[in-house]
Amino acid sequence: MNTKLKAISLKIIYPRWEKLKGQTTFNLPPHGPVVFAATLPEQVSVSFTDENVDTIDFDEPCDLVAISMMLSTQVKRGWAIATEYRKRGIKVMFGGISTMLHAEETLQYADSIFLGESEGRMEQVLLDWQNGCLKKVYNYMGQFPPIESVGPARRDLYKRDLYNHKGVQMVDLFHASRGCRFSCYPCAVAYLGGRQFRPRPMWRVEEELRTIENNRLFVVDNSLAQNKEWELKLFETMIPFKKKWISHTIDDDPEVLRMAAKAGAWYVYQAVYDTSPYIKERIKRYHDNGIGVEGTILLGLDNQTEDDCRRLIDFLLEIDLDLAEFTVMTPFPHTKGYDDLLRQNRIFDFDWDHYNAGQVVFYPKHMSPDKLQELYDYAWKTFYHDESQEAKMTRLFTRVMMREMEDGTYRPRDRRLIGKSFGKDVVRTTLTQ
Amino acid sequence: MKVPESYYDEIFAFAGQWDVPSSCGLKIRKNGDETYVIVTELYQDNPGTSVTAAGWSLASQICEKKQLDIRKVHYIECNPDTHSKLSFYDEAYYEVGFFDETGARRPVPVYTQLAPEKIRQAII
Repeated sequence: MNTKLKAISLKIIYPRWEKLKGQTTFNLPPHGPVVFAATLPEQVSVSFTDENVDTIDFDEPCDLVAISMMLSTQVKRGWAIATEYRKRGIKVMFGGISTMLHAEETLQYADSIFLGESEGRMEQVLLDWQNGCLKKVYNYMGQFPPIESVGPARRDLYKRDLYNHKGVQMVDLFHASRGCRFSCYPCAVAYLGGRQFRPRPMWRVEEELRTIENNRLFVVDNSLAQNKEWELKLFETMIPFKKKWISHTIDDDPEVLRMAAKAGAWYVYQAVYDTSPYIKERIKRYHDNGIGVEGTILLGLDNQTEDDCRRLIDFLLEIDLDLAEFTVMTPFPHTKGYDDLLRQNRIFDFDWDHYNAGQVVFYPKHMSPDKLQELYDYAWKTFYHDESQEAKMTRLFTRVMMREMEDGTYRPRDRRLIGKSFGKDVVRTTLTQ
Repeated sequence: MKVPESYYDEIFAFAGQWDVPSSCGLKIRKNGDETYVIVTELYQDNPGTSVTAAGWSLASQICEKKQLDIRKVHYIECNPDTHSKLSFYDEAYYEVGFFDETGARRPVPVYTQLAPEKIRQAII
């Protein structure tokens, strides 16, 4: 049995999923695969295909395939890709968030599944493969590696031109912590990353930020509002990099908001769950600090009647949101939502392709599934009736460009890619008589 | 979202899905010939799998440890009242049916919601 790893060529694949109809589609460079790639030993040469923007060449030679999945809507495609490779005699392993959520099913299509976080663990896995004794399951659920072992992601693997829309580079994804102390009704993060908030040390944050060339980021941590002291320290660390960034919720605290703005907060995703003056004030406080707000609105919860949903949608028009994103309640496995709806026998659709948060898969408490679907469509149409999603995005984009011009970080569009959108030619329509 | 201690007599540590260390509140009550096993979800104090996701595995672990016949107990899952503003965290009880009429184990258990008042009157 060899105890030294030989050279291996590993292909990482990120399966495609069907985007929601009628919505502006942006393909961001995925984070999970490149975080995983950073945990591979140096003997491994890696290639990466994001099927959302690229085509898989199943005949390209490789020793081993790793399929990385984040969404439930990726799993069925991931299984199909695995089947193709296994037909060719190539072993396939799976990892990532939705592998953990759909582990038992995924096992049927895999030579191996990896559950948990991969820092410090891949050398042994690859040695097992090399020695012909790859395990069916590598189970590290709940056994989190030291957070300081999380190094900079392998962003060099991205084919950068494919994450570009008409010359504008998409944001890079970045994470400063793992785990979440909250355990929200529709969310599986507590199951996946643990209920303990695990911040990365600031020297690691700095190290990673130094490796990112992009001047715009999406800080993908589940919620930055976990610990005020840490949040302030994070923003202080970010200031010198002059990045402009998007994130999920940050603390509703004057000092935190001020520091976030100084650190380059561009806009945040903020849940809008009722029509209270508090929400209105909260949005205003972000705006007062020059931070934009994309409201995230979850429709179909048990406490919402049809009238409540309509009132909520009308309310959004009054509170000066920059953008809004509507989703329908979706019972993802390993959430309280799933447990409750399962026990009440209210889930009627278990086709994971439909778990895109835009398709109703359960019986809502106060209306029919069709009615909820109709309300979801009504919400998108109503909010973007007077100004389209693209126009609102352009306004937010203009705002960030102005800030960048002020602090000298603005980079003009890449003229080479002005006629391309995510690797495809932009089709221009001309009106002719 | 701390679960009040009145919901359980002991914290039961169990191996959750994929052996993740997990815990739940546990109360076992006898009422005549009937034995009631009530497992309570601990939310923030459960580091692993929920009582519902653990289902059969959790019931088996409890019955083995407490020397109970899993076929003869009323196995009840409890969502405790955590005094949350959100109605999803209201108190709720479900009796879990692991076996069908013939005594065979169901691939997916059947859940019957029970009124909290009834539970309190009958067994607590």
